[in-house]
Amino acid sequence: MSWLRRSSAPLAWALLLVTLMLLMPRLEEGFRLIAPDARTLIYQRDSFASLVANHLLVVGVASLCAILLGMGAAILVTRPWGRDFLPLVSQLASIGQTFPPVAVLALAVPVLGFGSVPTIVALVLYGLLPIVRNTLVGIQGISPGVMESAHGMGMSGRQILWQVELPLARPVILAGIRTSVTINIATAAIGSTIGARTLGDPIIAGIVNGNTAFILQGAILIALLALCVDSLFERLQ
Amino acid sequence: MPDQSGAAPALIELDAVTKRFGDATAVDAISLAIPRGELCVLVGTSGCGKSTTLRMINRLIEHSSGQIRIDGQQIRDVDEQRLRRRIGYAIQSTGLFPHWTVARNIGLVPRLLRWPAARIAARVSELLALLGLDEDEFAGKYPHQLSGGQAQRVGVARALAADPEILLMDEPFGALDPITRESLQDELLRLQARLHKTIVFVTHDMDEALKLADRLVVMDTGRIVQQGSAAALLQAPANAFVESLLGGRDRGLKHAALTRVAERMRPLTDAQAGGPAVDTLGVSADDSLRQALSLMLWHGVDSLLVSDTQGQVVGSLSLQDAVVERNTRA
Ligand SMILES: Nc1ncnc2c1ncn2[C@@H]1O[C@H](COP(=O)(O)OP(=O)(O)OP(=O)(O)O)[C@@H](O)[C@H]1O
Ligand SMILES: [Mg+2]
Repeated sequence: MSWLRRSSAPLAWALLLVTLMLLMPRLEEGFRLIAPDARTLIYQRDSFASLVANHLLVVGVASLCAILLGMGAAILVTRPWGRDFLPLVSQLASIGQTFPPVAVLALAVPVLGFGSVPTIVALVLYGLLPIVRNTLVGIQGISPGVMESAHGMGMSGRQILWQVELPLARPVILAGIRTSVTINIATAAIGSTIGARTLGDPIIAGIVNGNTAFILQGAILIALLALCVDSLFERLQ
Repeated sequence: MPDQSGAAPALIELDAVTKRFGDATAVDAISLAIPRGELCVLVGTSGCGKSTTLRMINRLIEHSSGQIRIDGQQIRDVDEQRLRRRIGYAIQSTGLFPHWTVARNIGLVPRLLRWPAARIAARVSELLALLGLDEDEFAGKYPHQLSGGQAQRVGVARALAADPEILLMDEPFGALDPITRESLQDELLRLQARLHKTIVFVTHDMDEALKLADRLVVMDTGRIVQQGSAAALLQAPANAFVESLLGGRDRGLKHAALTRVAERMRPLTDAQAGGPAVDTLGVSADDSLRQALSLMLWHGVDSLLVSDTQGQVVGSLSLQDAVVERNTRA
């Protein structure tokens, strides 16, 4: 049944992720085929479980902030009293999209130093953009007749927001959040270059030591994490 | 206050109301008094300020100057949400909420007014029945599952939900095919005969305006050019603009459409005294003179038998009777 397959996809990806995360050391022989010359075949400075957990924490905190800030900003500038800022915010949102995430990260370091915090800040900034843009598109895309009758029936601004605008814009907003979170799962790995403990660590270590096995271990787990979260959003939408 | 003659204050009063958008004046010092229970139709060419006038009454647009009063109270002094919940509003695009069922859409204003759930449910059933929508079939449907005519019925039901005294309708039937449109017009007249709402109705379909209006208000470039009953305007248009809007040389037929055959026919005895009109064609007394004339023209006859709703012959109508109004009645 396609419904069963679709609805259980996130669970399947999650199961695969946890299994690989815990059983990675058992796959030593497999990785020997890929990196026959390496001295150690399994990344050992941290357990994969703690790297996954920390990676998720960084992305989770950043995404939560990005959702609150991004939706908040888009909602503010679509209220009658915030409309003056609409051109500014929608322009920032579309320009910001063209900014590479690495550049955001590089710019965060001189200001905030090394570690998880600058990484989170960079992820928030980068993750904001799709959320702001999609929330704006979603709200502005509601048919003018619907908005006119919502006002005409005597709904308050707050009632219109919660009962009309957000429910109708929901699919578009969710798509924005999905893009944001998925991008940030990948981008968070770059945080390792500035000292955040993420699944980027094995990749960086692999690059530095010329150890393809490490790179692969980090990359596989990141990909599974992204697939897992992405399929979760697919279900929500 | 019992309303006798024209002395009762109108329910809706516009007093030198003006709306400016920047430098442009959309509505220019119009004054209008609409009594309780009247169906007032605003007509005029596109952009003449009909919708603006309508939307100033429920404060979707704030007027720039002048006064608008409802029941003697300035609408500026009323909280706008409270005001709007007391005024039904129906628009061409319906504006039904696509994520809500028909029942929930109709119950919107009662819910805003915090009616108890049971009362809302009962009211929704009542309105579905009133507008000829089967509850079992339609209550749970979503707007995209409705035809244009059905959606517009739901839009009207929603506007009527909290039993407002006033109904504002902006080209509500504008997007419908002629047959559906006509049946909804009949429906509106039937409802109005029962509910006696005070209705302000915007349209640019002149036949619709003539059919529905107790009072016809002709607007041009933000001003009221003429107002009065449809018959009065047809008989004496104030200027060439009104005349051409009312149909120019078709005016005679438009006027005939407003007159019932019953008003012009000769009762049976009269007809027999005037000689037998050998003719089997017939019209109903409730048909319009226009329909009668059309029948005569089509069949090439100059008189018709008139029957009542039971099919009983009650009189006859000659071409002469139809065309020239008799001053004396037998
Ligand atoms: N929000 C607005 N801002 C600026 N100008 C407006 C606005 N709304 C209406 N107008 C102008 O006011 C004038 C009257 O508009 P309105 O919508 O009342 O016309 P209308 O008579 O309803 O026309 P139609 O039959 O095409 O619906 C038009 O010239 C229109 O361009
Ligand atoms: Mg209009």
